[in-house]
Amino acid sequence: MFGKKKKLMAAGEDVRLKSQIGEAETFWDLMRRLAKENKLAVFSAVVILLFILAAIFAPFLTPYSYKDMDLLNRLSPPSGAHLLGTDEGGRDILTRMLYGSRVSLMIGVLPTLLGMILGAALGIIAGVIGGKTDAIIMRIADITLGFPSMLLAMLIMYTLGGGLMNVVLTLSLVNWASVSRIVRSEAIRLKQNEYVEAARAIGVKKRVILWRHILPNCLPTLIVLFTLNVPSSILTESSLSFLGLGIQVPDASWGLMVNMGRQFLYIAPWLSLVPSAAIMLVVLAFNFLGDGLRDVLDPHQKNQ
Amino acid sequence: MKQNIIKRLLQAVFVLLGVALLIFIMLRIVPGNPIATMMGEHADPATIERMTAEFGLDQPAIVQFARYLSGAVRGDFGTSYSLGRPVAALMRQAFGNTLKLAFLAALFAWILGITCGIIAAVKKNGLLDRLFMGLSLLGVSMPVFMVAMLLQYVFAFHLHWLPISGVDGLKSFILPAIALGWNSAGSVSRLVRSTLIEILQEDYIDTARAKGNRQMGVLLRHALRNAMLPVVTMMAIQISSLLSGAVITETIFSINGIGQLAVQAINGRDIPLLQGTALFSTAIVIIGNLLADCLYSVLDPRIRKEA
Amino acid sequence: MKKGICLAASLVLALSGQTALTAQGAFVEEGTLRTAVLYDMSTMDVSKTTDNYMVPLNVFDRLFETKVVGETAEVVKSLCTEYAVSEDGLTYDFEIRSDVVFSNGSALTSSDVKYSFERLLIEARDNTDIPLEVVGGEALMKGEASELAGFTVTDDTHFTVTLNAPNAGFLAELSAPAMSIVDAETMAEVKNFGVEPADTIGSGPYKVTEWEANNHYTLEYNDKYWGEEPSVKKVIVEVIPNAATQNLKFQNRELDIIDLQNLDSTIVQSMYKPVYPDQMISTPKVGMTYLVMNENNEYLKDVRVRRAIGMALDVDLFINGIYNGDAIRENGIIPTGIWAHNDSLEGLPYDPDGAKALLKEAGYSDGEIHFEIAMDSAADSNTQLLCGSISQYLERVGIRASIQSYDHSAWLALRNSGEMDSFVARWGMDYNDPANIMYTFFGSPENTKGRSINYPDTEIMDRVSAARAIVDDAAREAEYQALEQKLIGEDVAWIPLFEELHLYCIGSRVESFTPHWAGFSDFYVTDVVLK
Repeated sequence: MFGKKKKLMAAGEDVRLKSQIGEAETFWDLMRRLAKENKLAVFSAVVILLFILAAIFAPFLTPYSYKDMDLLNRLSPPSGAHLLGTDEGGRDILTRMLYGSRVSLMIGVLPTLLGMILGAALGIIAGVIGGKTDAIIMRIADITLGFPSMLLAMLIMYTLGGGLMNVVLTLSLVNWASVSRIVRSEAIRLKQNEYVEAARAIGVKKRVILWRHILPNCLPTLIVLFTLNVPSSILTESSLSFLGLGIQVPDASWGLMVNMGRQFLYIAPWLSLVPSAAIMLVVLAFNFLGDGLRDVLDPHQKNQ
Repeated sequence: MKQNIIKRLLQAVFVLLGVALLIFIMLRIVPGNPIATMMGEHADPATIERMTAEFGLDQPAIVQFARYLSGAVRGDFGTSYSLGRPVAALMRQAFGNTLKLAFLAALFAWILGITCGIIAAVKKNGLLDRLFMGLSLLGVSMPVFMVAMLLQYVFAFHLHWLPISGVDGLKSFILPAIALGWNSAGSVSRLVRSTLIEILQEDYIDTARAKGNRQMGVLLRHALRNAMLPVVTMMAIQISSLLSGAVITETIFSINGIGQLAVQAINGRDIPLLQGTALFSTAIVIIGNLLADCLYSVLDPRIRKEA
Repeated sequence: MKKGICLAASLVLALSGQTALTAQGAFVEEGTLRTAVLYDMSTMDVSKTTDNYMVPLNVFDRLFETKVVGETAEVVKSLCTEYAVSEDGLTYDFEIRSDVVFSNGSALTSSDVKYSFERLLIEARDNTDIPLEVVGGEALMKGEASELAGFTVTDDTHFTVTLNAPNAGFLAELSAPAMSIVDAETMAEVKNFGVEPADTIGSGPYKVTEWEANNHYTLEYNDKYWGEEPSVKKVIVEVIPNAATQNLKFQNRELDIIDLQNLDSTIVQSMYKPVYPDQMISTPKVGMTYLVMNENNEYLKDVRVRRAIGMALDVDLFINGIYNGDAIRENGIIPTGIWAHNDSLEGLPYDPDGAKALLKEAGYSDGEIHFEIAMDSAADSNTQLLCGSISQYLERVGIRASIQSYDHSAWLALRNSGEMDSFVARWGMDYNDPANIMYTFFGSPENTKGRSINYPDTEIMDRVSAARAIVDDAAREAEYQALEQKLIGEDVAWIPLFEELHLYCIGSRVESFTPHWAGFSDFYVTDVVLK
């Protein structure tokens, strides 16, 4: 993890150099290069896209409701009527998987995004203003990082109670601190940089400098961090579900489904194996995509 | 360097205070009276009120915080609601088990992770490399409790190799340690591999090679020493993730450790126990980070010079 | 590199080799019973708990015990050898055995009984309700008196207890685990009664020898016990917080009794009933699972809506589908197994069309009625399924009952405030007397509010309260049954659902096992016979 971060900062340097010479790659250039160089990453992106489509169109893809039970049809194995079988309440697992992908993807993406925005904002503030503000923000980050993440999540969930929005909030609060540290160090580095000094000398406002230079330079790092944090959020939610602190039935999330199904592992293994496989697939896809993006954004490492 | 360490120590103390305050505040916002919850269905309101006073929960928050803090400094975390014993004694007993589990898990993760990482780096893009990296991704992407339950089912229940649960001797810690270390092994091997690949391409390795050292010797003597730096840093991060994972592993394998205490505290709405376990595990993480910092500055001559 | 691999490989070999040798289903001492619980007990002291009764039941004695005799539960004499009740039902004369000593050798006398009553009131925490019925109880608890005025010790084996009001259920109450007798002399000496095994001295068939918190505790036969020597000489109760782990351990013969209520009914159905048909033990969990409809809710205050809700629910299907038939349908308030239970009560029929018609007649359009079913997020999987099914069946008759999960303490706080719309819960009986459920739920405006029922008829509530004092059993039974008819038959004050069965499975080492009469998870170890 740490090693990666170090390298990612180097990636930032390259982008800056290019932007100075004025031949910055656009987003689409990057994507094109990614498509050419890393087939696995492209495949992963397609997998992720498919899951997103499934989540959006869930109601059109299944005749069943995700919460209606059929008590006389519990734990039935995969069949023509129920392609992936039914769960302990006789609910169609495929249907719950589709609806669960909404929740699970949201839990993967939303807290990561929120944590990132919060972390980036605080990181920039700390790095640019410095002094007491910096010290305070960084100590709060230290405090957050001091907790074993699971324990912090447990404590926050205990305080807030279950439910989707609380899970999102909890994971955002768990995520922000490491982001703020990275952004802060980038901001400090850039602050001392000659061209930023020069820009300041010719009277460009601080805010403008921030927008023009610091954020774009952190962006590659943040994009990669994003693809790494999404899977970890999905996994943390499944662990929270294990402790009964996550999403609550009748709502569906993959983590909850794995957890509800685990007691039937020996008599109806499909209950937890199907959502487990989906989690693994999405987590792997995000990991591959992250690796691919890093390679593209960081030619230094690629060249080795 | 001394100054640096003192500065870090002071910071750590500050962070610990912040953590204590944060935990305290979080646990007070929860709706409902913890005493009413503790006493359950059949308790009458008058008794609940009296007990609330007895536990000092009717005092102003600031008084409660001062008491809790001064107690914590003296090693007194109050009495657990759900287990009826001093929290400190419960944690002392549990810590040994968690330490054993975490140590074995780390050992497993390091041995497996470093071995696989080295092999993968040397045979870069070979079959073994792909196999190990694939496995490591599997390790990173599986929920801890799935790994734990599968191990328990296959090796304890089916093959009868190891006990299903409990803390009866070292053998009952093996499966939990593997379950807990599985995830870390994945990330360690990936880290070792990428760091080694980078170092193996640097000039001094070539020089060494040119001098006629056999490849294995080069690897171990030069590359590994340099690769240790990020790995040591990772160790600090792993303390935190091992403690996180212990929460679940201990529950599945019935290991009476800090993680299981924390789960019990949550289930039993046991505030003193929750406060104690949270503060304690955070302290471990912070101390771990501090040690890693010191170790880092010993290993890396550049930092030593700067200080 | 090779070294690394060799090291790893030899480590794996060493570990597997070492463990292959340790025989599974390890050696068990003869006379030892192994069982497991999900959570450790919080204390062994009945003045500090209302749900950890394994030690009180087995390490202490009471004046009476409630035991399963044939098909029914009966109150039988234990320490008490003779008793007489005065005509007004207020004064009880008792005689106790003279040959009883505690496990540390100290004799059990009348003053120990008195001390045990007083201690609950001085500790003033849990289980105060029974000694509070004795004259002077209130004063002692408030600290206005130094002893229990209504308890007179005549000599070492005789004493008299005077009650504030007649209570036909008093002897049954004396058999509750709460009324365990402790030794006054020992209590004066020890510091950690209820926590330290050595300090927790009783006169029962067992003594506590070990308690490692969150791991296990051990009971061993007390050779000073006055009664018959039991078949089981030693009990090891392991704390195993994961039910699936308990399941594996039982299947692996590492447990002799497994409490199946922790496992989902489908697992019991597929992994236990067909595999161990002769080792299944089932007993009613004496109590009532009910659906509350808050009469302060704008829709639920209409009796026609409440009746329609009852008609919309296919309770028999719930019992068969969710509990695999392991529950007894209930139609009233007083559950099966409690005296005064009325077998002939008729419940609401399952009639969704009738329910729709009733709602229409009451002037509600389809989907107009809506309220919240509050679910405790700590509820077991069966209860969660039950709530889901209820919501689903109500939707079919046009009632929108959405399920909302609450954290346990938030759930309790909301319910106690009297503002919870609706919920499903279970009441477990503490002793074999109808007042324990009738009075708790419908005995006063405070009681009915604290359960979020908000039953409005104060006249009926006064009658429920007064019924406790009727001395004549037959008259009392008639009054309770009349009240039940009014409360449920006419007013539909709640929807009675069922009484669950408590299932256990015994291992091959166990000859027979009789669970606690009320279906508690805790049981009398003397009721286990090993092969």
